Amino acid sequence: MKRGAAILLAVAALTLPFWITNAYFLHVVIMAGVFGVLALSLNLLLGYTGQLSLGHAAFFGIGAYTSALLTLRSEWSFWLALPAAVLAAGMAGWAIGRLALKLRGAYFVLVTISFAGVIALVSINWMDLTNGPLGLPGVPAPELGPWSLRTKSAYYYLVLAAVALAYEVCRRLIHSRIGRAFVALRENEALAESVGVDGTRYLVLAAVVSAGMAGLAGSLYAHYTRFVSPEVFLFTYTVTMVIMVVAGGKGTLAGPLVGAVLFTILPEALRAATSWQWQMLAYGVILVVLVFFLPRGIVPTFFR
Amino acid sequence: MDQLLQHLVNGLVLGGTYALLGIGLTLIFGLMNVVNFAHGEFYTLGAYATFAGLTLADVNFFAALSLAIVCGIVFGALTEVVLVRPLRGESIDTVMLVMIGVWIAMQNGELLLWGGVAKSIPHPFSTAPLTLGGISLAPLRLFVLVAALGLIGGAHLLIHRTRLGRAMRATFQDAETAALMGVRVRRIYTATFALGSGLAAAAGALLGPIFIAYPSMGDLASLKAFCVVILGGLGNIAGATIGGLVLGVAEELGAGYVSSGYRDAVGFVIIIAVLVLRPSGLFARAERIG
Amino acid sequence: MLKRWLVMTFVVGVVAASVGSLVFGLDVARAQAPVRIGVIEPLSGPVAASGNYIRMGAEIARDWLNAKGGVLGRKIELVIEDNKSDPKEAASAAEKLIVRDKVPAIMGAWGSSMTLAAMPKLEEYGVPMVVETSSAASITKRGNPWIFRISPPSEMEAVGLEPYVDKLAIKKADFLAVNTDWGRGSIQAFGDLLKKKGLPVGAAEFMEQSATDMNAQITKIKTTGGDTLFLTTAVEQITLVLKQAQEQRLSRKIITTGGSSSPTQLVKQAGTAAEGTYHIVFFMPWFPESMPDGKLARAFVDEWSKRGHPFEGLTEGFRGHDGILTIAEAVKIASNDDPKAVRDALWRVNITGVNGPIHFEKDGPAGKESGQSKPSIFIVQIRDGKVALPEFARK
Repeated sequence: MKRGAAILLAVAALTLPFWITNAYFLHVVIMAGVFGVLALSLNLLLGYTGQLSLGHAAFFGIGAYTSALLTLRSEWSFWLALPAAVLAAGMAGWAIGRLALKLRGAYFVLVTISFAGVIALVSINWMDLTNGPLGLPGVPAPELGPWSLRTKSAYYYLVLAAVALAYEVCRRLIHSRIGRAFVALRENEALAESVGVDGTRYLVLAAVVSAGMAGLAGSLYAHYTRFVSPEVFLFTYTVTMVIMVVAGGKGTLAGPLVGAVLFTILPEALRAATSWQWQMLAYGVILVVLVFFLPRGIVPTFFR
Repeated sequence: MDQLLQHLVNGLVLGGTYALLGIGLTLIFGLMNVVNFAHGEFYTLGAYATFAGLTLADVNFFAALSLAIVCGIVFGALTEVVLVRPLRGESIDTVMLVMIGVWIAMQNGELLLWGGVAKSIPHPFSTAPLTLGGISLAPLRLFVLVAALGLIGGAHLLIHRTRLGRAMRATFQDAETAALMGVRVRRIYTATFALGSGLAAAAGALLGPIFIAYPSMGDLASLKAFCVVILGGLGNIAGATIGGLVLGVAEELGAGYVSSGYRDAVGFVIIIAVLVLRPSGLFARAERIG
Repeated sequence: MLKRWLVMTFVVGVVAASVGSLVFGLDVARAQAPVRIGVIEPLSGPVAASGNYIRMGAEIARDWLNAKGGVLGRKIELVIEDNKSDPKEAASAAEKLIVRDKVPAIMGAWGSSMTLAAMPKLEEYGVPMVVETSSAASITKRGNPWIFRISPPSEMEAVGLEPYVDKLAIKKADFLAVNTDWGRGSIQAFGDLLKKKGLPVGAAEFMEQSATDMNAQITKIKTTGGDTLFLTTAVEQITLVLKQAQEQRLSRKIITTGGSSSPTQLVKQAGTAAEGTYHIVFFMPWFPESMPDGKLARAFVDEWSKRGHPFEGLTEGFRGHDGILTIAEAVKIASNDDPKAVRDALWRVNITGVNGPIHFEKDGPAGKESGQSKPSIFIVQIRDGKVALPEFARK
C-alpha cells in the first residue's frame, strides 16, 4: 500500500509540468519546493536533535547571496555557484555549532537569533559587497549546455531534484548511527553522553548539514526570483519555516514537506479567495486553529 | 564628555522600558516555558488602549495608562485560559506556534481596527526639555523612567513579598508539590501570564506617547524582550532589569560611537559574546527546550 | 479522533475552497468584461498607511473614470494585491495578476526593492508596469522596456531643489536617512547636489526602518557644526526625529525629502517640533489651485475628504490617482487591452494628472529604454502650525 502510494506520488511529481500548465500554479509549486528543502533542513535541527534554530533565514540568505554574487560579479557558472553556496552556508552552520558549543535550549535559540540579526545588518550595511538595501537584481538563470533553465518547467525539475536530494540525505542520515545519536540526544542528553555520544560533535554536524541544505534552498531561490535583497533575512522567513516544520510534523521525514506545500499554497489561496484586508488575519486564525487541534502536526497525527 | 553623558541618559530611559518588557517575558518564558512571540502584541495593545482611553473614552492621562495595564492583564488572562492552558503538556514548539498565530492575528486585527496610520498619543507634560549641564531630558521621558522603575519595583515586591508571589515561586519550583500544598496551580499559571502581559502593556502604554502607536510596533519589542530575558537569565527578574538597562545603554553607546547602521548589531554581538564566554548564561543554568 | 478529523476536514475545506477559487475564476465574455488594472502595494506591515493611501487615490481615479463611461466603453476594475513589504510577495502578486487575472497593466509596487523584484516577471510575460512611488535610479536604468515611472528618482528631486539652495542659505549640511535604497539614494543624490555647489557635508547617519529611538544619531549630528539637516524617511520616523531633535535642542534647518513626509500629519503629531521645517513634496493639497491643473487638484482634494479619508494621506494618495489615470489613458490610445499594445501606447501618453504633466522620456540603455516622466516638485514650510509656501518660493 505504502509502496504503491509512493510510486504514484513519484509519477505525479515527475510529470507535473504536463498536467499543471498554468504558469502561476507552477510558480507556487516551485516556491513550495524551495521551502520544502528549507523545511527539511530546519527539521534536522528541530525535529531530530531537538534544538530550535530561529536564525535559519541567515543560512538561507547566505546561500542566496553567495550564489548571486558569484554568478553576477565573478561570472561563475550556476553549477559551481550552487555548491559554493552550500559550502558557505555550511561553514556558517559550523560557526554557529562551535559558538553554541555548550549552549542548549533557550540559549542556543538566542545565539541563532543574534547571529541572524548580525548577518542581516551586515547585508544591509556592507554596501560594497552586497549593494545594501538596493539588492542584487539580474541574477542569471542557470544554463545547462546550450539550454537556459529559465522556463518554469525546466526550473521545476531542478527544484524537484533538489527536494529529492535533500529528502534522501535526511533519510540516510536519520536511519544511520548518526541519526540515532541525534534522537538519543534529543530525548535525554545526559543519558546519551553517559553512553559515549558526544553531544557537541553531533550538534555541530547537524548544524552544518542543516545550514548547507538551507544554503542550497537559498541558491535555488536566488536564481529563480533573480533578485536578492536583505529582505531574505526577514524574520518572517524563519517563522514560516518553523510553521511548516511544526505544523507539518517535526521529527518525521514527510512532515516538513507536507507543511511546506500547505503553507505555500495557503497564503496564495487566501490571496485569491479573500480581499487583501482579511488575508493575514485569516492566515493567523487558521494557523491557531490548526495547531490547536493538531498539536503534534499533520503527519504524526494521521500517519502514525 | 557631554556627549557621553547624553548617550548614557538616553540609554537608561530606553533600558528601563526594555527591562519592563523583559520582566514580563521572563515570567512567561522563563517560568511557564512559553515562547511567547505575541509578547510584543501586548506591548502594542497597551499603546492602543491608552490611545483609545484618551481619545474615545476621554479620561485623563494617568487613568488611561492604568486602563491600558488592566487591558493587558485581562487579555493576557484570556489568552492563557483559552489557548495556553488546553495545550499544557504539549511540546514547547506547539505552544510557540500558537503564539505565532496569535501574533499574526492580533497585529492584523489592529491593522483592521485602527488602520495603518500611526497614532500620536497626547500627554500632559510640557515638551520643553529639562536641562542639566549639557544634557537634555524631556519631562515625559523622566516620568517614563520613574514609572518604569516603580512598576519594576512593584513586580519585585509582588513576587517576593506576597502570598500570590510565594505561590508562584512554589509552583515554578515544583508544580506537583505546590499542588499538594494546596496551591491552585491552574490559577497561578493564568495569573503569571496575565501579569507578564500586563507589564508588556505597561511598557507600551508608557512608550506610546514618547514614540507613536502603529500596528507593527511590537515586532522589534518582542525581539529585544527575548534578548533581555536570556541576558538576565530565564525567570530572573533582577537579571532582566539589569539586562534591560545594559542593552539600552549598550545600544546607545554603540550607535553613538561605532555606527548608527549597526546599532541593533551591538546588542546581538554583546549577547553572543556573553553567552560564548560564559556559556552557562549570566545568572541561570543552561536550559533545554523540548 | 473524531475531533481531529473534523478539524482536518475544516482545514482541507478552507484550502480546497481557496484553491478552487484560484483555479475556477469566473470568466465573463471578453467584450463586456471590465478592463482590469493590477495594483500591488504594501497594504499590511510597517508602511501599510502609505500603501493604503495609494489604494484610496487609485479608487478615486477608477470611480471618476467609470462615471465618465470607463475606457473603451468598458468599466475599469482594480485588482488589488498586498505585497506585505516583501519582495518575494511582490513577485508572486505580479505573477498572479498577470497569469490568473490577465491584467494588461499593473501599478506598483511602492518600495524600490518590491518594484525591482517584480520587474523580471514583467519581462517574462510582457506586461507594463507604471511605477508610482519608487525612487531608486536603477529601476529605469536596468534596460527593462516594460517600466514607466511617474515618480521622481532621487536625482530628479535634487535637481528640483537646486534653484532654492542659495535662497535656503545652506552652508554645511548633515544627512539622516532611513537605511533603505530610498534613504541611501537620497543621500547620494543630494550629496552630489551639494558637492556641485561646493558646499561641505557633515555627517551621514542612518536609522533602521523600524527604529524609534534616534537620539544617538542626533547627538552625533549636534557636534558637526552644520546648519542644515536633510531628513529622508517615512512620516512616522520623521515625527520621532523631530520630537527627539527638539528634546536635544538641535537647532538647525531641517529639510525632509522623498515626498512622503505628510506635513499635515507632522503638525498634528510633532507639534512645535515641526515648526520651521521645510518639506519637498510632489503635491500641495493645502493650496491645490497652485498645482499645474488647479481644478483637478481641487476636485481631488474635495473628493478625498468627501470619502472621509485622512487629509494627511493626500501627499501620497495622489500617486495612486495619477498612476491609474496614466494606464487608462494608454488603454484608450491603444484602443484595446493587449499588454503589448498598452505598453506601446504608454509612450504616447500626454496628459496632466494631479501632480502635473505626465509624459514619458527614454531612460536607460539604448534599445531597451524604460519610460521616465518629469514630475513637478515643490517645497513647502511649516510656519505657525500651518503649511505654507516659503518666502522665496512665492510667485
